[in-house]
Amino acid sequence: MAAATTVAAPPTGPSGPDATGRRLLRRLNPGVGGWQVAAATAATVAVALALSALLISVTGGSPTASAKAMYQGSMASPAAWTTSLLYVAPLLLVAVGACVSARSGFFNIGQEGQVLIGALFGAWAGLRLALPGPLLVVSVLAAAAVGAGAWAGLSALMYRFRGVNVVVSTMLMTFLAQQLVSFAVNTPWLLQESRLGRGTLSPQSNPLPEGARISSLGEYPNLQINGGLVLAIVVAVVFSLALARTRWGFRLTMTGLSPAAARHAGVRVGALGGMALAISGGLAGLAGALLLASPVGTNRLQPGMSLNIGWDGLLVALVARNNPLLAIPVAVLFGVLRAGGSFLAATGVPPFLVDVVKALLVLAFVAPPVVIGMLRKRRRAGEPATTTPATDPAVSKQDAMEGSLA
Amino acid sequence: MNVDDQLTPALTLRGVSKRYGPVVACDAVDLAVRPGEIHGLLGENGAGKSTLMKILLGLVHRDTGTILRGTEPIEIDSPQVAADLGLGMVHQHFSLIEPLTVWENVILGDTGRVDRAAACAQVEQVAQRYGLPIDPLARVDRLSAGERQRVELIKCLRRDPSVLILDEPTSVLTQAESAELFTVLRRVVQAENRAVILISHKLAEIMAATDRVTVLRRGAVAFHGTTADTTAQELARQMVGRDVSLRAEGAALGLLPVEPQSPAGAPPSTDPAGAAPAADPTTPAALRLRGVTLRVGGLPVLDDLHLDVAPGEIVGLYGVEGNGQATLGELLSGLLVPDEGAVEVGGRPVELTRPGTLHEAGLGIVPEDRHHSGVVLDMSVAENLVMKSLAGVCTRGVLSRRRMHRIARRQMAEFNIVAPSPDTPLRSLSGGNQQRVVLARELSAGPKALVAAQPTHGLDVGAIEDMYVRLRQAAAEGVAVLLISTELEEVMALADRIAVISSGRIVGVLPTAEATAERLGMLVGGVAH
Repeated sequence: MAAATTVAAPPTGPSGPDATGRRLLRRLNPGVGGWQVAAATAATVAVALALSALLISVTGGSPTASAKAMYQGSMASPAAWTTSLLYVAPLLLVAVGACVSARSGFFNIGQEGQVLIGALFGAWAGLRLALPGPLLVVSVLAAAAVGAGAWAGLSALMYRFRGVNVVVSTMLMTFLAQQLVSFAVNTPWLLQESRLGRGTLSPQSNPLPEGARISSLGEYPNLQINGGLVLAIVVAVVFSLALARTRWGFRLTMTGLSPAAARHAGVRVGALGGMALAISGGLAGLAGALLLASPVGTNRLQPGMSLNIGWDGLLVALVARNNPLLAIPVAVLFGVLRAGGSFLAATGVPPFLVDVVKALLVLAFVAPPVVIGMLRKRRRAGEPATTTPATDPAVSKQDAMEGSLA
Repeated sequence: MNVDDQLTPALTLRGVSKRYGPVVACDAVDLAVRPGEIHGLLGENGAGKSTLMKILLGLVHRDTGTILRGTEPIEIDSPQVAADLGLGMVHQHFSLIEPLTVWENVILGDTGRVDRAAACAQVEQVAQRYGLPIDPLARVDRLSAGERQRVELIKCLRRDPSVLILDEPTSVLTQAESAELFTVLRRVVQAENRAVILISHKLAEIMAATDRVTVLRRGAVAFHGTTADTTAQELARQMVGRDVSLRAEGAALGLLPVEPQSPAGAPPSTDPAGAAPAADPTTPAALRLRGVTLRVGGLPVLDDLHLDVAPGEIVGLYGVEGNGQATLGELLSGLLVPDEGAVEVGGRPVELTRPGTLHEAGLGIVPEDRHHSGVVLDMSVAENLVMKSLAGVCTRGVLSRRRMHRIARRQMAEFNIVAPSPDTPLRSLSGGNQQRVVLARELSAGPKALVAAQPTHGLDVGAIEDMYVRLRQAAAEGVAVLLISTELEEVMALADRIAVISSGRIVGVLPTAEATAERLGMLVGGVAH
C-alpha cells in the first residue's frame, strides 16, 4: 500500500478525468513518450556515424570523401534519386508484408526466398504467356504474388498439420527457393535462355519482353518514377488502413497480441495467421516481380537477383516497428543507403565496409525503442503497485480491510 | 497428547509466523513431527500449508518462531541448507526435466564427475530398497505420472532425508498408484524411522495413511491429534470452519451490495425475490453441461461432469483448486474441446470446435486468468469492450471508431470503469477496472448464462463488492450464473445452490440453506456424503 502513493492516480469517478490526471497517465503509458525514443535515436545515430567514420579512416579511407560519395550516389542528382527509388519500391513491398505477418504473431522471415519465387513465377508468366502489353504486366505481377503467396502458405500448412515452427520453416524455405531458381535457369526446357548461335549458355532466363516490363511514369529529364514505386506506396497505404480501420485488421492485431483472447473472441487463429503469412509472401513475391520487370536489374531471372532485398525489407519493418506507413520513409532511407553504398563501393571503399556502415545505422535505429522498453519494464517490475493504483484514500482503507479478511 | 510427548520429535516448529504485507500466511504455527510417523497436514487453499513448507525448505524466511531438529534449533536459509539438514520434498508439480533420463534427473544438481554406472547403480539400489521399480535409462517423458513420482521419490530418498515432505502427492495418480505410494511411505517410516509430512486435502487419504494429523485454517492450527481418535467428519469441520462463522463472514462480505428486494446480509438462498427458480424443475436450464469429459495424458481432468444452471439462478461450483475448475473455465471460454459430452446454452447444444460459438449462443464468461484470454492488455479499453461483438461496430468490414467509442463510453459509465479515455491501453488500468471491463463486455452482450471463474481473485474489497452486486443483478434479470470459486464464503454468500467438484466430477449438489461446513468438507475431501 505504501507503493500505491508513488503511483500517479488515475482520476476518480466515471464522469471524466481532469487534465492533470490525463497528462500523468500519458507519461506512464509505455506506448507514448515518443520524444524519449527520438532523442535516444538521434544519439545512437550520431554514435553510429562516428563509429563508421572511425572505421573508414582506420582502413585508410577518408570519412568526408566517403560521405560525399554516398550522397552523390543516392541523392545528389535526379539520376541518383532514380536509382535510390528503384530500390525503395521492392524494399517497401517486402516491409509491408513483414508488418502484416509480424502483427499477426506468425513471423515470416523467409522473404528473401519468396522474392526469388515471385521472380520465378513472374518470369514464367512474362516469357511464356502471349498476352498484349498491359495485360502481360498485370499477369507477371499476379503470377509473382500468387506463386510466392502459395510458397509462404506452405509454411502455414506445415504449422497447421505438423506444428512446424513458422520462423524456422519460412527461413529454411529460402534455401529451397534459391535451389529452385537455380534449377529453373539451368534447365533448357524450363527457363534457361535460348541458344543464339554457338555461345555457351548462362544460368539465366531470356530477358523479359518489352511489353512485360514496368514502365516509368512521366518524362522528367533524368528523374524517373517507376510504376513499381507507385504500386508499393498504394500497397503500404492500403494495408495501413486495413490494419487500423477494418475488422480484419482488428482481428489480426488481436491474434498477434493474444492468441487465446482472439480465439475466445471467435477468431479462427490458425486460418487468420496462415492468411497473414500468405499475404506477406505475396507482397515479397511482388517485390520479386519488380526486381525482374523494373529497370533495377537486367530484366532476366538470375539466381542472385534478389539482392538481399528480402532481408533488408525485414529490417525496414523492424525499424518502422511494424507500421506500414512508417515503413515508407524508412524504405526511402534504406534505398538511399543502398544506392549510396553501391556508389561508394565503386569509389574504392571495400564493399564489406559499406555493409558494416549500413548495419551500424540499422542498429542505431532499432536499439533505442527496445532498450527504452526494457528499462520501462524493469522499472515497472520494481514497483509492483503500478498496476493497481489506489483511487483515493478511502479505497486504501478498504485494502487494509481486505488484508485482514484474507 | 501426553503419551505423544515422550518421544523427541524429528522436527518441531514453535510459533512460526509469516506475514505478506497485511496478509498473515502463517500465524504462530506449532507442529511436531516424530520419527516413524506419517503426519498429515490438512487445509484448504490459502490455509498456509505451502508457506509453512516453503519455510521448512528455506525458500521463504519466517518472521518469528523457532524450528528445532531433534532438540537443537536450526536456521534454514536456503534450499541447500534444508537438504543438508535432511529435509526433502516431493513437490505437487514435478520438477523433472522430461528429455533427460531417469538417472540424469536423479543426479541433477550433484557436483563433481558424472558417473553414469554409479548413478544407475544408486538408482537401482534405492529403487529396490523402497520398492520403487524404475528403469534408470528410461527417458522421463516416456514415463507415466506414477513412474515420474517414483523418480521424484528416489531423488529425495537417496539423500537419506530424516523428514520427507510430500505435497498433494496423489493429485496426478490413479487409485492403484496412490495405494502403491502409501505402501512405500509406510515402509520408509517403519523400517527406517524417518518422518513423513503428507500434505493433502483428501480426507480419505489422511484417514487411511497418516498416524497423526494437523489441520490448518487461515494460517493457524485449527486442530491436531491422533488420526485414529478422530473422524473424517470432525476433520472436515475443522478444515472448512464452523458453520456459524461461515455464515457471518458470508453475510459480512455480502453486506454492502444490496439488491433492492433482498434484505441486507441475508444469504441469497432465503432471498424472497421472485426470480429464485432454483427449485423449479419446470424451468429449462440456461446452461447445461452433459457428461463433459476431458482427458489429459489419459487421466480425466473433467470426468463425466453434469450440471444445470437455471435462468435467474446462481450456482456456486465449489472445490479445492486443481480439481478441474481451470479446465472447465477454459472449455467454457472456447479454448478447449471436450473428449465427450456436450454444453447446452438455452436448451441447444453448442458446436465447440468452432471459435466464438459459445458467445453466439449466449454464454458470457469472466475467465479465471483474465490476462490469458479475457483481455488484450496492449489494446485500448474501447477495443477490449467491443472485441467479442465486432459486428456491432463494423459496416461491411470497416470499423467505425466513432461507434466503438460511443459504446465504450456508455459501458464505462454504466460499469464504473475508471480510465482517462476509451483509448487508454488496458494495461494501465487497475486489476479491478480490468475486471470491470471484462464484466461489462460480457453482460452488455445480453447473455443467457454467465460463467464467473474466480471473479474476485486479486481484487480489493471495493471491486469485490462491485462484482457481487453485478452478479446478483444479472441473476435477478434472469441470467443463469455459474460461479466457479474456491472461496467458500463467496459461494455461500452468492449462490442459491452449491455444486461441489472433486477430481473433475460433481460429487454433490445442495441448496445453500442445507450446506453445512461438514457436508461441504466431506464432499470437497472426496468422501461420499
